[in-house]
Amino acid sequence: MNRITIDPVTRLEGHGKIEIFLDPEGEVENAYFQVPELRGFERFCVGRLAEDMPNITDRICGVCPEAHHIAATKALDALFHVDPPPAAKKLRELFYSIFFATDHTTHFYALSGPDFVMGPDAPKAERNILGVIQKVGMDVAGRVLKMRRDGHDLIAMIGGRRVQPNWGLPGGVSRGITEAQRLEVLERGKEAVEFARFSLKLFDSIVLGNPVYVEMIQSDGYTHRTYDMGMVDEKNRVNFYDGMIRVKDPEGREAFKYHAKDYLEYVEERVEPWTYLKFPYLKKVGWKGLVDGKDSGVYKATPLSRLNASDGMATPLAQEEYERMYATLGGKPVHHTLATHWARLVELLYATERWVELGSDPEVADPVVRVLPKAKPDEGIGCVEAPRGTLTHHYWTDERGVITRVNLVVGTTNNYAPIAMSVKKAAQSLIHKGTVVTDGLLDRVEMAFRAYDPCFGCATHSLPGQMPLEVTVRDARGGVVERVRRA
Amino acid sequence: MRTLVLGLGNPLLGDDAVGLKVAALVRERLNGAPGVDVEEEEAGGLRLMERMTGYDRAVLVDAAVTGGTPGEIRRLTPDDLPTQRTAAAHGIDLPRALALGRQLGYPMPSEVRIVAIEAESVLEFRHEMTPAVAAAVEPAVAAVLEELAAAPPKERP
Repeated sequence: MNRITIDPVTRLEGHGKIEIFLDPEGEVENAYFQVPELRGFERFCVGRLAEDMPNITDRICGVCPEAHHIAATKALDALFHVDPPPAAKKLRELFYSIFFATDHTTHFYALSGPDFVMGPDAPKAERNILGVIQKVGMDVAGRVLKMRRDGHDLIAMIGGRRVQPNWGLPGGVSRGITEAQRLEVLERGKEAVEFARFSLKLFDSIVLGNPVYVEMIQSDGYTHRTYDMGMVDEKNRVNFYDGMIRVKDPEGREAFKYHAKDYLEYVEERVEPWTYLKFPYLKKVGWKGLVDGKDSGVYKATPLSRLNASDGMATPLAQEEYERMYATLGGKPVHHTLATHWARLVELLYATERWVELGSDPEVADPVVRVLPKAKPDEGIGCVEAPRGTLTHHYWTDERGVITRVNLVVGTTNNYAPIAMSVKKAAQSLIHKGTVVTDGLLDRVEMAFRAYDPCFGCATHSLPGQMPLEVTVRDARGGVVERVRRA
Repeated sequence: MRTLVLGLGNPLLGDDAVGLKVAALVRERLNGAPGVDVEEEEAGGLRLMERMTGYDRAVLVDAAVTGGTPGEIRRLTPDDLPTQRTAAAHGIDLPRALALGRQLGYPMPSEVRIVAIEAESVLEFRHEMTPAVAAAVEPAVAAVLEELAAAPPKERP
């Protein structure tokens, strides 16, 4: 026997923990999650040229390098006070739409799919992508992988290097695409739209067709009434690449709408003594702790909150699905954490439609894709919607463009407070005095967590991608009642 | 027979870069020897499977954090990776990714070997590796070359 326990093999795995504490009565008193923390990012960046930031920050994480690349590139536009030509903006958004569609596809099928397709009570060995495929069929798996492959191929074609693109520059991009390449993008985009529609149909039949799931989605244990954040265009429709940041209150009324460059006036980070995680909250509402409601500055930045924060989708098919989702779930806003999966699919459809729209525009093949910056650099903020939430890059430089200070607010970080709240509430609703803590039950606790698609790869600047999770239940004296580890 | 040597890691995270550095040196030593591609990859999961498709054999080089002695080199197979991670819901690990590829009928390598180098610091952004891990680079290169020199796997089933 040559079996070695490796914990974790880096790159193959990272590591997260949920700890559930019971009171003397055996009820859940508290539940926390923690993840490893990476250090020294700012120190690493200081002294480097700002132009290198898109290629440094896109290495923070192996999961969404494209989001960091584009946010960093937009921060450079602001830093050097330069406005890219229309073709460059469209090309960046096209690239970004393809990335979004690819990333949402992976999350739905590989990461969250097992929760719904297999269900939490399925045997542990089947609750993974292989189980999903056995249930939905091999042809679906083939389509999922083709979608990923097309996405990666086009991202490489447009952005250059595979995965980590070496592409964004202040004032534009390093190269454009040819007319023939545009037509290829368009062709694959049409297939992607069909794939997204198919995914929504699959969700309909597997999830919405199952009353147990519908009840679970709408149950109180998976519901949090918080503020919602998302980027919107000039008509308050969802946009991933550019626009204003809009925040709606828990009742669905617009609370704030601001330019991303003003984020520090609206978002502040709370430090709590029991964790090194910092919890962003809405400064103007104030920190009241990890609680719901209009008086608490806790907000969510997820696919569902982007839909809640908007007035609709900018493409026709996604708009139809948007309306259908809200009609089914009782109107806007929706605060059911598990509905985030549905919202993610609506966004997938939007991303593919936007991919086709931009691919249909001859201007994306225009050779003029850069304006040279002339102004002296000083400070710049760039913001996009990453798949896991609003992503903000903020750089300060000296007049030579050498970095003196850096601040990043990454997607998952926005959701630290709601994730902590969701985990605790799910645990409280499921674990009571005398409950036998089963694996399926802990899986239900984790479902509250997974809906956020948490990627601690960059949130803590930690090991990217895969995140084995350890769930520990402790009694009032700190003794371990149950411990489950999983990938 | 086609062989892939794949260095895994993040070039900015200290010892986590060791897999990438070993791969770069292996490429240099092989000097274009036919039948072997040497590449680097910063992502894991499904992407790993996609990268290995079409090869008969793969040798992965990666940093490991197991609480062992920094710089220690181990040669593993996917089966040596802990089972509790493979029977789980979130994410997709190497054995699962390989199984998925095979189930889909993709031409996956019939032999996958892992050269794991125990790391000391993978949680801090820096270009330099710790001395113990830097010293393990050459022995790890030798380990990879030995794997390559070993008997080739049987034809793909």
